[in-house]
Amino acid sequence: MSRYIIERIGEALVAVWGIVTIVFVVTRMLGDPAVLLLPLGTPEAQVAALRAELGLERPMIIQYLDFLVRAVQGDFGLSYQFFRPAMDLVLERLPATAILAGTSIVLGVIIGSLAGFVAAVRRGSILEFLAMTVALLGQATPVFWLGIMLILYFGVNLGWLPTGGWDSLASLVLPVLTLSIFVAATVSRLFRSSMLDALSEDYVRTARAKGLPPGTVYTRHAGRNALIPVVTMVAILTAELLGGSAVTETVFSWPGVGRLLLQAIENKDFPIIQAGVFLIAVIFVGTNLLIDLIYPLLDPRIRVSR
Amino acid sequence: MVTKISSLAGAAPGSLRSLTVAALLGASLAGALASSASAETLTIALSSTVNTLDPTQAQVVGTDVSVATHLYSPLVARGPDGKLYGVLAESWQPEGDSAWLFNLKPGVTFPGGEPLDAEAVKWNIDRIRNPETKSRNRSWFDPVSEVEVVSPTQVRIKTKGPYPTLPDQLSMIFFLSPEWMKTHNPATEAYGTGPYKLKQFVAGDRLILEPNDKAVLEKPTFDEVSMRVIPEASARVAGLLAGEVDLAFDLPLEDVERIKKSGRADAGWVPSSRSMVVRMNTLKAPLAGNTKLRQALNYAVDKEGMVEALLGGLGTVSQCQILTPAYFGFNQDLKPYPYDPAKAKQLIKEAGITTPLKIDLEVPLGRYFMASEIGQIVAGQLQEVGIEATIKEMDFGAWVKTYAGRDMGQMALLGQAWPTLDADGMLGLYAAANPTAYFDDKPFDEALKAGRGTTDPAKRLEAYKTATARMCEEAPVIFLFAQPFTYGTSKKGTWKARGDDWVRATDVVTK
Repeated sequence: MSRYIIERIGEALVAVWGIVTIVFVVTRMLGDPAVLLLPLGTPEAQVAALRAELGLERPMIIQYLDFLVRAVQGDFGLSYQFFRPAMDLVLERLPATAILAGTSIVLGVIIGSLAGFVAAVRRGSILEFLAMTVALLGQATPVFWLGIMLILYFGVNLGWLPTGGWDSLASLVLPVLTLSIFVAATVSRLFRSSMLDALSEDYVRTARAKGLPPGTVYTRHAGRNALIPVVTMVAILTAELLGGSAVTETVFSWPGVGRLLLQAIENKDFPIIQAGVFLIAVIFVGTNLLIDLIYPLLDPRIRVSR
Repeated sequence: MVTKISSLAGAAPGSLRSLTVAALLGASLAGALASSASAETLTIALSSTVNTLDPTQAQVVGTDVSVATHLYSPLVARGPDGKLYGVLAESWQPEGDSAWLFNLKPGVTFPGGEPLDAEAVKWNIDRIRNPETKSRNRSWFDPVSEVEVVSPTQVRIKTKGPYPTLPDQLSMIFFLSPEWMKTHNPATEAYGTGPYKLKQFVAGDRLILEPNDKAVLEKPTFDEVSMRVIPEASARVAGLLAGEVDLAFDLPLEDVERIKKSGRADAGWVPSSRSMVVRMNTLKAPLAGNTKLRQALNYAVDKEGMVEALLGGLGTVSQCQILTPAYFGFNQDLKPYPYDPAKAKQLIKEAGITTPLKIDLEVPLGRYFMASEIGQIVAGQLQEVGIEATIKEMDFGAWVKTYAGRDMGQMALLGQAWPTLDADGMLGLYAAANPTAYFDDKPFDEALKAGRGTTDPAKRLEAYKTATARMCEEAPVIFLFAQPFTYGTSKKGTWKARGDDWVRATDVVTK
């Protein structure tokens, strides 16, 4: 068991290191921040001076080693645009993203599991057809289109809710709705199919044969087991949303991590890109690690099979 | 995860816009208008994030510099009419060819009582000039040799040679309190003599300003100014229609008419100071040393048609120069190359070029208005005169690396503007010494030198007349049009429209 844990933690560290390394190399190949930060046509000497000031004239391998040494100490450098520590800026935006992601996940999972459960239990009924059609639509609708539709209807036409920004609970409603529809759609489809799988298992037949009431069979026996893949999916979705739903945040002028990263990519603000990607990678890999560590507790067979 | 972010980044803006068009068309605009803002609050939508409050580092006029203008005072400012007026400066005049003298208004103080006098002005300019400050604006003061305090209300800025555009450049410089600077961070805090003071700054989201009771130079006109960062154009339109925003810019062209018709808000456009051009690399074959070929390309492109078809008439064709009428040095006498494919073909023949001629057209994406569409139209029209332009679309950041590194391809589409609205800066982009000139023409350079060599406006105008005429003749670019600058206002007031990116609460007049 302890070896399994150490292996998984080791793998997670390698994954984070790999991600930040790839991003480090790719960003440096794609553009020159010094040129973007100064007005076009600035004399070359001044561009070179800024490049030197930012430490970009050094060989890439030196820049990389310097980056690694500082990063392990938590220092991701000063943002080129904002003149402030990059990690501070990313962390400053994290609460906005966390609130948006957290609320959307909770709401989406509740609606999604209910819909998925009903669809599986009432298989072949009009209820299943409706739930699954809505879920399919929800999953196929581009998030930004849905966002704009909601803004136009509830924000512009009805005037009930703010069209964007973050000043009150009301401004949370539309972006959460947008994201939770997506989450609910994903969760309901997955939960339905895994519930159907569980319902066809022998132990369910046994439980039914014993004469247990359907409610107990569905929730206690089938439902519990069917939840395992859903838990995984929810964890992954959470990590993804926490990493910043760039599109939703842009459409709703939400001051979160995703929007900050988009802007940093446009401006080649390397320190922010690195700090942001590092944080997302840690959240993502950390969540996966957590799932891996929890699995053996849920289902002993997982440990044996390794 | 990484790929996800970049693919989202690529997918967002374009598709969002076209979808919004459909959405706005479909959506019924009838319904209750809920306006929560009071009459005394002005809400301005900024199109991109405010990076810093530090005026020493502020460069982007539409965001950072415009924010600074509310919090701090410059010596001079440019009004919507394009003319400079004194803010801290009472008057100013050149002294020969090597100095400018500024007379300051007496008795101006920072909120804590420290004087904003000649000494403070000198301290601020010297601070920017000091390499240790690492100010990104330092190059503006390269021609300055010394700042001299003559008296508390007089400051003399000595220059290495004539610097005729110094006052224009100073309209983008704001003054900090030396005393306050010792213990504060100007990137996130503000303490100035502007009409407003900082109430709240939520990074990435909004800035709330309230009147600065101690302002003596420019009076606040609203009880509160809220600047909200709304990067997505369709969201700005929605905010305007919902009554949440009073002033917004860079709206999709196709929404301008729709906003007007909605009855909920007003919209309009002005020609901006940014000229769209197809740059030609006149240092590279086959465009090098081949004026006739370059002229032919200008005849081959239908600028009028492009403005009609692409911009729905919202645009003005460039008058054979990269300057728009807003610039000092604009040449009234020049006329656009007419659309004449026959003449183009003939010139190509005279130039000794055998068609079809293959040529590359670089189109940087994500920065210039409708870049992709313009690129395709240009390529299509060049095709008709036997030039096969291969479009190479690339990310702006990647493209600019080659462009600024003297490695531009044969042709590239771009928009150019210069914040001081003076021919010196704008035409200077084509001076041979400039790394992005891709043009090396003695008569043109000499005319520029003549313009820079004097502070006499009449002589300068004459010099720029020569320079623009020469550039029209030599055609280092295909002159296209001035990019339209769209804006929208709520019913609360009217905006004194200007096309030079400045966003000022003082430009809004309440009804």
